Amino acid sequence: SFLSSPHFSLAGWARGLLGWARPERLLTSGRVFPLSCIHTSAPLEKLGKWEKKNRIVYPPQLPGEPRRPAEIYHCRREIKYSKDKMWYLAKLIKGMSIDQALAQLEFSDKKGAKVIKEVLLEAQEMAVRKHNVEFKSNLHIAESLTGRGQYVKQIRYHGKGMFGIMRLSRCHYFVKLVEGPPPPPEPPKTGFDQAKEYVQELRNRTITHSL
Amino acid sequence: MAALLVFPSPLPPLRALLRRCWGRLERGLLPRWDLPRWDLSRWDLPWGPALAVQAPVALPEAAEGAGEGGEEPGSWEGVLWMAAPKKRRTIEVNRCRRRDPRKLIKVKRNIDVCPECGHLKLKHVLCGYCYAKVKAETREIRREIQKQEGGPFKAPTVETVVLYDGEQPSEKDEGKRIIERARKRPSWFAQN
Repeated sequence: SFLSSPHFSLAGWARGLLGWARPERLLTSGRVFPLSCIHTSAPLEKLGKWEKKNRIVYPPQLPGEPRRPAEIYHCRREIKYSKDKMWYLAKLIKGMSIDQALAQLEFSDKKGAKVIKEVLLEAQEMAVRKHNVEFKSNLHIAESLTGRGQYVKQIRYHGKGMFGIMRLSRCHYFVKLVEGPPPPPEPPKTGFDQAKEYVQELRNRTITHSL
Repeated sequence: MAALLVFPSPLPPLRALLRRCWGRLERGLLPRWDLPRWDLSRWDLPWGPALAVQAPVALPEAAEGAGEGGEEPGSWEGVLWMAAPKKRRTIEVNRCRRRDPRKLIKVKRNIDVCPECGHLKLKHVLCGYCYAKVKAETREIRREIQKQEGGPFKAPTVETVVLYDGEQPSEKDEGKRIIERARKRPSWFAQN
């Protein structure tokens, strides 16, 4: 019969059956019986928009086009830190090369610096393994953002029976690494440029109800 | 004085002014044309020479308020002179203050590479990796010392020498306490 023929392998059949499911996801959550397509754990967390950005696949480039640099999106959710304080660190490393960013974060005294350093190292590892980046130093930080996480309220006891309501704030951190050297910084706007722009704006005005 | 004055009033502002003047006259006051219009607080004062009388300034309640000093939630004397924000600070104003360059984190320019191990270090600070290595080795040496001594307050009054694998005490080390470590001598621990 077909089952005992040399052209049939149970492993291959099972793999084909489960081909629609990503194996790393099934292995991490719940137990999977080889011949059943249902896993017994709770569903994974809803993927955010930033995580989904890694999944876009561009059509193959034409021979004449310039090479599209690799983009790697990574984030960490629900970090126990304030989003305003994290923003200062995100602003620090915006536009730097990844080595310079790691150096600055290593010697920063802030709590969020350690978290961002871990995120950058994870993203670098991901870039080399999965996103076809050749040199791990040839990355720069194109975007680095913070977002508000879920807040928890707690009571803070004061004297004389008074109390205050404390907010435990959490934040998300998002980073986008792009292959290639960091772009040169923009030269600061001179007064002459500003004056030129102002004159141009005046010249662009249209006179209504005219001939 | 209840005189009847009838005359045409052509303009509405003039009519309003005359109505106000008539009101003041009825109350027994005369309009003060000599005073400027913006100083309206003194327009209603009775016409006559103004007397400047020296009166005690400190009233009993004001003295009490000054004596209290601190702000209690129950008392109301301090409310009038406490600083309080007049208007809500808009998010634009808040952003200008929070994103001002002096509040941003400055880029450090004193980061170097350690020549021994290749990790990053600040120029004026010891390399963290090398220091951790030295700390670990020191901990092992101290364990050996504790094993040899066997208890607190038993430190000998002589110097200590640490010898690694295959090293013999030299003639300079006569009379010193010797601690053996079962490993190769680390490159950073020089033997004299």
